[in-house]
Amino acid sequence: MSSLVEMKNIKKDYYLGETRITALKSINLSIQNGEFVAVWGPSGSGKSTLCNLMGLTDNHTSGTLLFQGTEVTSLSDNQKSEMRNQHLGFIFQNFNLIPVLTALDNVTLPLLIKGEFEKSSINAAKSLLFELGIGDYFLHRPHKLSGGQQQRVAIARALITAPDLIIADEPTANLDSENALKIIDLMRKINISKKTTFVFSTHDQRLLDRVNRQINLQDGFITNDSKADKKNNDNVETNKNTNFETKQML
Amino acid sequence: MNSKFIVWIKFAMANLLRNGRRSFYTIIAIAIGYAAVNIFGGFTSYIFTNLKDSFIYSHANGHLTIFKKGFLTEGRIDPTKYLITSQEYALIDDICAKIPQILIATPQMQITGLISNGEVSTVFIGSGRVPSQTQEIQRQATGIGGNLKLHNGKALQDDIPYGVGLTNGLAEKLNIDIGSDAVVMSPTVDGRINALDVEVFQRYDVPVEELNDKVMRLPLKFAQSLYDTKSIDRLSLLLTDEKLITPIKKLLQTAFKKNKLEMEVKTWKELSPFYRKVKDMFDIIFIFIFIIVFIIVVTSVVNTLSMSVIERTREIGTLRALGLKRKGIIGLFAMESGMLGLVGSFFGILITILNWLLIKLFEPQWMPPNYVIKIPLEIFMVPVYMYWTLLFLVLLSSIISIIPAKKAAYKNIVDALGHT
Ligand SMILES: Nc1ncnc2c1ncn2[C@@H]1O[C@H](COP(=O)(O)OP(=O)(O)O)[C@@H](O)[C@H]1O
Ligand SMILES: [Mg+2]
Repeated sequence: MSSLVEMKNIKKDYYLGETRITALKSINLSIQNGEFVAVWGPSGSGKSTLCNLMGLTDNHTSGTLLFQGTEVTSLSDNQKSEMRNQHLGFIFQNFNLIPVLTALDNVTLPLLIKGEFEKSSINAAKSLLFELGIGDYFLHRPHKLSGGQQQRVAIARALITAPDLIIADEPTANLDSENALKIIDLMRKINISKKTTFVFSTHDQRLLDRVNRQINLQDGFITNDSKADKKNNDNVETNKNTNFETKQML
Repeated sequence: MNSKFIVWIKFAMANLLRNGRRSFYTIIAIAIGYAAVNIFGGFTSYIFTNLKDSFIYSHANGHLTIFKKGFLTEGRIDPTKYLITSQEYALIDDICAKIPQILIATPQMQITGLISNGEVSTVFIGSGRVPSQTQEIQRQATGIGGNLKLHNGKALQDDIPYGVGLTNGLAEKLNIDIGSDAVVMSPTVDGRINALDVEVFQRYDVPVEELNDKVMRLPLKFAQSLYDTKSIDRLSLLLTDEKLITPIKKLLQTAFKKNKLEMEVKTWKELSPFYRKVKDMFDIIFIFIFIIVFIIVVTSVVNTLSMSVIERTREIGTLRALGLKRKGIIGLFAMESGMLGLVGSFFGILITILNWLLIKLFEPQWMPPNYVIKIPLEIFMVPVYMYWTLLFLVLLSSIISIIPAKKAAYKNIVDALGHT
């Protein structure tokens, strides 16, 4: 079983006129199904850039990026759109709900885009909103909702297609600390109950106790990846298993 | 209907309502454009109908006219050489009688000569007709032309050959009035001079000023006896339906060939250069109006959508991130724009109907070109125009929206999301 996301020597340059800004220098990482990953680091360290690449909303400059085993540079814009629609979910810092649509319509939007909008979609969206504790706000437009409520609607929108990976770039940056913790807890709960993989970025270290993997970015480099340490252990375990199986076979 | 589609429509509608005032102005621009095209189109159609009715019915020229071959070309110099003899006429009349769609086939003879009051004399051009048939053609008119009394005095009569009609200019020139006598003179077809007495039965006007002191109408019998001939120079045919003009023309041509008749058949349009000129002129005006409407619609739609694209940059980024393809973004804007076109056209239809009602209500009168009396002004509602304008404006607004929509669709997603 291949990794959900695999990055090898990923580099990302931006150009401001003639000036090249290297946002990501040489990123190597892999995300497995079911993980709950925090990317953290100071502002400007490359967190958003990393999220954008993983979310297939931007293109890397060099290196290899595999999403579910597929080299993403080989995908057309339409194929990437389909990937985002069917396999990815997005939670944004500023919620990015569509202002003219009700909470309910915002949640069903990805299904509409997918072309799978049906009567049952509405019920699915309703039960998601209930699950996330905003069942009373179906018909509210985003501007009538608080930040925390809006972000819950956004989470419901990200979940509606049952994606493999949800990318959340600074999902709590526009929330007060109480709401921030609630949102992260909610995401974690979903991660556990629905086995949805989450990658979220933050510059708030207080949120990090709740995650099972932390990737620390500094100046476009990964300076620490808690999984990478654990990975060795995993490998040991795998080896053990292999040994065990080998024994059995013998 | 497809529920997905309905949801997209609702979404598009919500987007239009977001900046309601701007959408409203665009809708109004489209509505005015729609109304301009249709009101002008309706007026044109009224004018054409009247010109046609006036030629076919009021002037009793019918839909088709039969001439001896050459009459209209070589015959101009010596018309008497290209007359239809009474034998030929009898044959033609037989052929026409076998075609039930020919309602009336009436003979004519145009003559020229001098008319005198005993003291002075002047040139006249006279049209010899069969009064009862002329009146029958006029009675067949469906439009305004049918109910018009176009002369003062009494009607000409088949069996009173000496009773004639004079244009007002001619009557004034000769200082004679209804009831007066006069003498007309002309060479016969054999070249002898002939003179006959006439009595003025009626006075009337013709729309061409240069002719208003030269023209007179007279019974065919009179024209024939003045020219001392049994021949005629043309036959006017009234058909049951103008759609039959071309097929009946063909039918007649083959029948004439079979009977060795050297005749030519002309349609009313071929004989009415005035109608063609007016039509050409109106067509040009229409093109101008159309271009103006086109420019107004295009600029207001493009302008509205361009602003909308800028305002909604972040949402476009969101939709793209959620997986909407570029063509989906273009489709959304095209749908919004098409709805502007649709609603605009709808209001345009209302304006057109309102205008029609107002004109019905106030019945303004006017004198169109080539008319000698005032008639009610009308603006027709032409469903074909209305339908095509609607379709055109909806399609135009949808298609033209692609220009701003493409800009939206090709935005960099990350940049768009970061837009504030
Ligand atoms: N569109 C862009 N054009 C130029 N430079 C950019 C652009 N986006 C990000 N950068 C630069 O790349 C670096 C990483 O940015 P970013 O990924 O946004 O970091 P973070 O999300 O951790 O704050 C920063 O130096 C930033 O200025
Ligand atoms: Mg950032």
